Amino acid sequence: MNLHKLAWRNIWRRKRRTLITAFSIGFGVMLSVTFTGSGDYTYTNMIDTGASMGMGHVTVEPIGYQLKPTLDKRLTAAGRLRARIAGIDGVSDATLRITGQAMFASARQSVGGGFIAVDPAFETPGNNLLLRSLVEGAMFNDGDGLGIVIGSKLAQRLQVTIGKKIVYTTTDVSGEIVSNIARVSGIFTTGIDMVDGIMVLLPIGSVQKTLNYARDEATVIAVIIRDQRHAEGMRDAIAALPEAAGVAVVTWKQSQPDLAGVIAFDKAGNYISQFLVGLLIAVGILNTMLMSVLERTREFGVMMAIGMAPGTLFRLIMVESFWLAVVGLLLGIIITAPWYYFLYHTGIDFSSAFGTDFSYGGVLVDPVFKARLFKESVMAILGGVFMLSLLAGLYPAWRAGRIPPVESLKTI
Amino acid sequence: MIFSLLAIVQLCLCLPAQAVAGQDRTSFILNKVDDLWRGESSFAVVSMRVKTEHYTRTMRLEGWSKGKEKTLFRVLEPLRERGTMTLKFGSHIYTYLPKTDRTIRLTSGMMMGSWMGSHLTNDDLVKEARLEDDYKAAITFEGARDGRNIIEFTLVPKPEAPVVWGKLLLTILADGYTPLVERYYDEDMHLARTFTFSDMKMLGGLMRPAALRVEPTDKPDEYTEFIYEQLELNIPVSDAMFSKSSLKRR
Repeated sequence: MNLHKLAWRNIWRRKRRTLITAFSIGFGVMLSVTFTGSGDYTYTNMIDTGASMGMGHVTVEPIGYQLKPTLDKRLTAAGRLRARIAGIDGVSDATLRITGQAMFASARQSVGGGFIAVDPAFETPGNNLLLRSLVEGAMFNDGDGLGIVIGSKLAQRLQVTIGKKIVYTTTDVSGEIVSNIARVSGIFTTGIDMVDGIMVLLPIGSVQKTLNYARDEATVIAVIIRDQRHAEGMRDAIAALPEAAGVAVVTWKQSQPDLAGVIAFDKAGNYISQFLVGLLIAVGILNTMLMSVLERTREFGVMMAIGMAPGTLFRLIMVESFWLAVVGLLLGIIITAPWYYFLYHTGIDFSSAFGTDFSYGGVLVDPVFKARLFKESVMAILGGVFMLSLLAGLYPAWRAGRIPPVESLKTI
Repeated sequence: MIFSLLAIVQLCLCLPAQAVAGQDRTSFILNKVDDLWRGESSFAVVSMRVKTEHYTRTMRLEGWSKGKEKTLFRVLEPLRERGTMTLKFGSHIYTYLPKTDRTIRLTSGMMMGSWMGSHLTNDDLVKEARLEDDYKAAITFEGARDGRNIIEFTLVPKPEAPVVWGKLLLTILADGYTPLVERYYDEDMHLARTFTFSDMKMLGGLMRPAALRVEPTDKPDEYTEFIYEQLELNIPVSDAMFSKSSLKRR
C-alpha cells in the first residue's frame, strides 16, 4: 500500500486530535506572521523615515566627517558625483546637502540648533520628512534666497512667525565666525521634539556663500534608495564609482547608529519570542505524534510481524508528520489571511498609548500597528514552521521503528 | 565673553559714516557722539552690576583698546575671578582663565551666550564694530521733548544685514551731542531692550555720561549697569598687547 495514502488515512483516524494539532501549527503561523510582519513594516518605516531626516539610506561624505562633523570638511565636485549616483539603478533620489550646527537668533531669544542646507529643486515631501511635516507656510523656492523652514518648537522659542527674520551664526571653512539672515518661509511639526526644537532647512546657495564654500561643494550627498534592504549593496556600488575616490560612503547604520541599535535590539527580542513560541508548538506536535505512536504499539507490532521493515515504519510516521504539517500550514494560511489583510490595510491604532511624541530611537514611529511581509519572510515562516513539525516527528518515528514485535503483541 | 570696555558705551554709537549727500549732518553728529568715547587708543576702569531674577553680581574691570578692532580687558574684582581676561581681535574673541592657565577661543555656538552673566551677548560685542555696515541712519526728530532739546536718530538694518533687530532709536541731547537713550525694537516694532545713559561726569577731560544701563523689556526687574570710574584717551598702547600670546604673560 502507498505510504502517503496510509499516512493520510492514519492521521484522520483521530480527527479531533489532528485538527487541534493542525490549529496549533496554524496559530503558530499566525503569531509568526504578526510579529515578523510588524517587524518588517516598522523597521522599513523607521529606516525610511530616518533616511528622509537628512542623511539618506546611503550617505556620501568627506572622510572623517562621521567622527568629527566640522564644516571645513567638504566634498568637492559634488554635483558630478550626485548625477552619477542618481543614475544608478535602484536609487530613487540623491540630493546635495550641507549639514551643520548653528546658533539661531531672533530679537527675543537665541537658540542653538542644526541646519540642513538643501537645494529646493531636489527636495520633495517624499525624500524630506521635514517638508512632509510642513504645517504652516511653504518651502522656499530660491536656492540662493533668504528662506528658512524651521521646526515649530524652535519657532516658539525664538518667538517668530512666517516672514520674520532669523540670524544664524556658524563657523565657516577657515574657522571664522560668520552670520547671515533668513526669513521664515515655513514651519514644520514632525512630532519628534528633538527635531522640532532644533532643526531648520536653509537654501544651499546662501549657505555656500556664508560658509565660503565653492558652488559645487557640500558636506553630504544623501541617497534615498527604493528598497532599504539593499543599502549595503548600494554603498559598495557607489564606493566603486571612479568619482567617489577620496570620499567615505556609509549606510544608515553608520550615519544613524542609534537607530540601527534600536532596530537590532528590537529584532533580537522579536527572534527570541518567536523561537519560544516555535518551541511550544513543536512540543505540542511531538506530544501528539508520540501519543499516536504509543497507542498504536500493538498495530505496529502486527505490521512488523507480517513483514514491514522498521525503516518503513519510521518513514510512515515521518510522512504522517509531513501531512500533519501540510494540513497545519493550510489551516494557518486560512486563518491568517483575513488577519493579515486587516493588519495590512487597517492596523491597530495605538496612538492613545503613545502620547504626543511618536518617536523611538530618535525616529518617528507610526502609532498604528500594521504589518507588511517581505517575500523572504513569508518563505522563512512557512519553511520554519514546516521544519519544526518534521523535527517534532523524528523522535516518535524513531520510537515506532524500534518496537519489538513479539512484546508489543502482548500489549493491548 | 567679552566686551570692549570702552565699547560698552560705544556699542550703540559707532554709526554709519555715510557720505551720501544730505546725510552729511547725520554722519557728522553720529561721529561726534562716537568720538565721545573713542580715541586712537584708550584705557578705562569700569564697574558692572548685573541684576537678574536669580542673582546680583558686581564686577570691576580694566580695559584697553586700540582702534575699533582691538580690545582687551581684565577682571579686577571679585578676587575669585581676578585676572580673567578677554581679548577681542576683529571678529574673534578669546578668553583666558588664570586658574587653569587656558586660552579659549569662543566658537560660533558661544556667541549668543551672555557675556559675564550680563544682559549683553558676546555677539553684541563682535557686531559693535560692524554697525556702519549693517544699518542706515537718518534723523527722524529734532526739537524739544520732555523739556529738553534733543535729536532722534532711527537706524534701520539693511535688508541683507545679519541683524535681528527691526530698528534702533537713538536719542541724544542736541546740546553737546550727549547720548540719552537707545532703544532696540524687534521686527514687529515692539521694544526689546533699552540702553539708558546717565550720570554726566568729567571723564578723560570731557563731560560724558558715566553710566550705561541695559534693560531687557520682557524682564522688567532685570538690568545690567556699567559705570565708568576712569577713562584715558589717546594714550600709548602697544599692538603686542592684543595678541593671544600676551594673555598668558600678563
